[in-house]
Amino acid sequence: MTKQAVQLSLPGFEQAHGGWRAEYGRQIGADRTIRNRSGVEIKPLYTPRDWNGDAFLENLGFPGQYPYTRGIYPTMHRGRTWTQRQLIGLGTPADYNKRVRTILDAGATAISLIPCNSVFRGNDCDEVDLPLLGTCGTVVNTADHMDQALDGVPLGNISTAMNDPSPFTLLAFVLAVAKRRGIPWTSITGTSNQSDYISHFIANHMFYRLSLPGARRVLLDHIEFCRAYVPGWNPVSVVGQHMQQAGATPVETMAFTISTALQYAQDCIDRGMDIDHVLRRFTFFFDISISFFEEVAKFRAGRRIWARLARERLGAKDPGSWRFKFHGQTSGVDLTVQQPLNNIARVAVQAMAGIMSGLQSLHTDAYDEAITTPTEETARIAVATQNILREEAHLCDVIDPLGGSYYVETLTDQMEEEMMALIGKVDEAGGMYKAAEAGLIQAMVGQSALAFQEKVESGEEKVIGVNCYQADNVAYAARPTERPELERMQQHVASFAAYKAARSQTDVNRALDTLKRAANSEGENIYGRIVEAAEVGITHGEIVSLLREELGFGHPLVVV
Amino acid sequence: MTACGLNPPARVLVTKIGLDGHDRGSRIVAAYLRDAGMEVIYTPPWQSIPAVVKLVLEEDVDVVGISSLATDHLIVPKLADALREAGLGHVGIIVGGIVPDDECPALLQAGVSAIFGPGSPRDDIIAHVAALAAKVRDVKNAEFREIAQ
Amino acid sequence: METGGNAADLIHRRVCARTGHAAVIGFTGAPGAGKSTLIDAYIAVLRGGGRRVAVAAVDPSSPLGGGAILGDRVRMRRHALDPNVFIRSVASRGHLGGLSESIHRVVDVMDAAGHDVIIVETVGTGQSEVEVAEIADICVVVNAPNMGDDVQAMKAGVLEIADILVVNKADLPLAQRATKQLRDMLKLRRNRQNVAILETVATNETGIDALGTAIDGLLANRAADKRKSRERRMRRLIAQAASRLAHDRMRDLADAMLDELAHKAATGEIGIAEAAKQALSLIRP
Repeated sequence: MTKQAVQLSLPGFEQAHGGWRAEYGRQIGADRTIRNRSGVEIKPLYTPRDWNGDAFLENLGFPGQYPYTRGIYPTMHRGRTWTQRQLIGLGTPADYNKRVRTILDAGATAISLIPCNSVFRGNDCDEVDLPLLGTCGTVVNTADHMDQALDGVPLGNISTAMNDPSPFTLLAFVLAVAKRRGIPWTSITGTSNQSDYISHFIANHMFYRLSLPGARRVLLDHIEFCRAYVPGWNPVSVVGQHMQQAGATPVETMAFTISTALQYAQDCIDRGMDIDHVLRRFTFFFDISISFFEEVAKFRAGRRIWARLARERLGAKDPGSWRFKFHGQTSGVDLTVQQPLNNIARVAVQAMAGIMSGLQSLHTDAYDEAITTPTEETARIAVATQNILREEAHLCDVIDPLGGSYYVETLTDQMEEEMMALIGKVDEAGGMYKAAEAGLIQAMVGQSALAFQEKVESGEEKVIGVNCYQADNVAYAARPTERPELERMQQHVASFAAYKAARSQTDVNRALDTLKRAANSEGENIYGRIVEAAEVGITHGEIVSLLREELGFGHPLVVV
Repeated sequence: MTACGLNPPARVLVTKIGLDGHDRGSRIVAAYLRDAGMEVIYTPPWQSIPAVVKLVLEEDVDVVGISSLATDHLIVPKLADALREAGLGHVGIIVGGIVPDDECPALLQAGVSAIFGPGSPRDDIIAHVAALAAKVRDVKNAEFREIAQ
Repeated sequence: METGGNAADLIHRRVCARTGHAAVIGFTGAPGAGKSTLIDAYIAVLRGGGRRVAVAAVDPSSPLGGGAILGDRVRMRRHALDPNVFIRSVASRGHLGGLSESIHRVVDVMDAAGHDVIIVETVGTGQSEVEVAEIADICVVVNAPNMGDDVQAMKAGVLEIADILVVNKADLPLAQRATKQLRDMLKLRRNRQNVAILETVATNETGIDALGTAIDGLLANRAADKRKSRERRMRRLIAQAASRLAHDRMRDLADAMLDELAHKAATGEIGIAEAAKQALSLIRP
């Protein structure tokens, strides 16, 4: 944090520095002011006068040691590299199963499931326009669908990440499937990605389903339920990605994400949960932009802030609670339609920033992400990019390789200070829940988005092929877009309808009544009832509709 | 005469239909069009097609701008049909966002006048919307003169 | 209709004969008071009673370039598909007094189209909004407790036109204080003793039925002088239109004559009022 730098004794420094400055000024002429995306002014050179390593233990320390600036584990990537987690999901559950088996055969130890956008909106497949089904993810509406999707997948031995916003029906389906297969829930591991309802509300994301108070309650019930019955599961993933994609600067993103985590942690404490039980299972999820050094500083500063706040403000005693575990996804916002193959280079740089920041898990975008839904081939290049960085570029040999750079350390300190100021602002507004409810965050993010776009329009921020080097734009022959076959999707919808009709209406009504009662009784754990409903064949759409009715529909707040 | 070249100002609906929620682009375009002197009716994502039709009717919109970043463009032809059925076939439609090249012809055939991909310059968008709105206005005015007589 | 001109006048004249049926309710209040959400809930009450509703939602245009983003209607989402709820966003377009005139025409057309209740929503700041609110048979001024000192800073003019004061978001901690502040402010005004103060929570429908009942009660009392107030309003609109006309004509007047008047007024040879009189005589057709 802010401190008086101890001036190192460097004989001759001032004279040499002054000499360089004079020569630099003479050659460069009128220098321009450069600011990074977060607005921090970037100097042409950093020296020991900016950062000199004092308070080393206090601010940096060693990997695996508080405040974890250099990494949350002693061995970091030299011991165990990051998890390569490619997000997949397309078509019907059978389509997904085919794809996931290929990935497992290739040696993957972790899988993910992205459901169809209709699922994100809380709809079953018979409620939406057919052409949209399965175009962005898998159409999973029931435990049966999940069973098909995960056919042959050893659920107890593999980490599963579900893009599964509140009310977490996908995990409920997974648990129902595990029970059918005789797999104990205690052996299920993975993460509820997209559990961060505040980020969905702020970024107007399609994952936002229930009203704010309803989502708040369901998340807490979900955390309590997992703690009791699925202890290997991470029920909370706090998401900075949506905000940064919506236009927040890296500093804003990190600050608001940490404020959100503080809100959830405080809500858990207010519920009477043990903070050390809760925080150990918190994970974070971020976009990695191409602003290389800024991203590295963002993550290093975030890691330090979180450790300090978890310990000092939240009173967590277990070092496991102080560790800032995060998944990074290379940012699709930086990718261009123009000269799309250039995106391979962009993704590599973004991934480097993430790896050098010490991330725990990484998804690299396919280069055609800005044009269409990635194909298997383009996804393979994205994975290869990670392999090249690890095996050929040797990015894993040294822990925190940019630590100790005058520039990176100065930037880390400066961005930390700005983040703390924003976290203080959110505190003043009564915490993240209230700040988001009032639209304060949305207004700031919207301003930043517009400001960035202005810079691109004016050419101040250069994007190759978009506002410069357009001469190189050559016709790119994209392969024909693959869409799910309408006929097969129609069959999927028809069999879903048949499935619904064949259920015992009495059982369905009983399960929905139980869920409704739980929704209206504050003391009852609603998530337990959701899992029960999934077990007896209640559909995703039925569960979400009922909860929307009882706990309120999640309408977006429009801040223009 | 107003900044956008029409009096009264062009009225433009900026909205998202379908399932996706990414609205960074639609917000920015809405702000651009406002700054160009247009009156922008802005909605959050996930509007149903009947809701958009009702809105176009009630707000006397000249141009509808649909933002699509995750395949929602696939139902734009359905929207165009619905507008025609409601007697609003003269209203201009533009699409912004990510539309694969091979899926553009179907949209243009359905009556979409232009598709603006990522990186489209602000001035191109504004100029197109202004010209399209002026054309739509001419149709409306002709209709009005007929009724008035 | 918003633009005015010959076409608007033509339509307006044709529909005038069919007006007079609808009740016009004005809702005004600062941004953030929850007007749109309150109106959304109030519409639900009206629709429950089978009444057809139209809304004219006024948003300010940007003083630069004249553009506007009109986003109020999305908060009335419950009625997004109801054919008996017609919502029209109106940009204030910043013209001199022209807003009240165009709203007058918009409301008349909505009236002639057979709506039972017409709601005019305005942002409660500035003189033009006050004038627009005067178009209403009943004017509801909406406040919220989370607006800090705004209640105190509320334009006196807005308070003068209120028939009903609403403290929305009444579940927030400072609601009672806000209600008390409003009551105290009313006490200072002799002619405002009968203004009701109602507490609502629009997001969960609390107090909306009571608001509906209060509005209906006032409407019943005022039915008699509706025609008279319409004519009174017309006088003012005519005066405004005339002054705008004068303004436009003077702008087009040969510079020399106006320059001379301006010179005389500047040197104190004549007063501004006298200069205006002479200018008016210059533009007389």
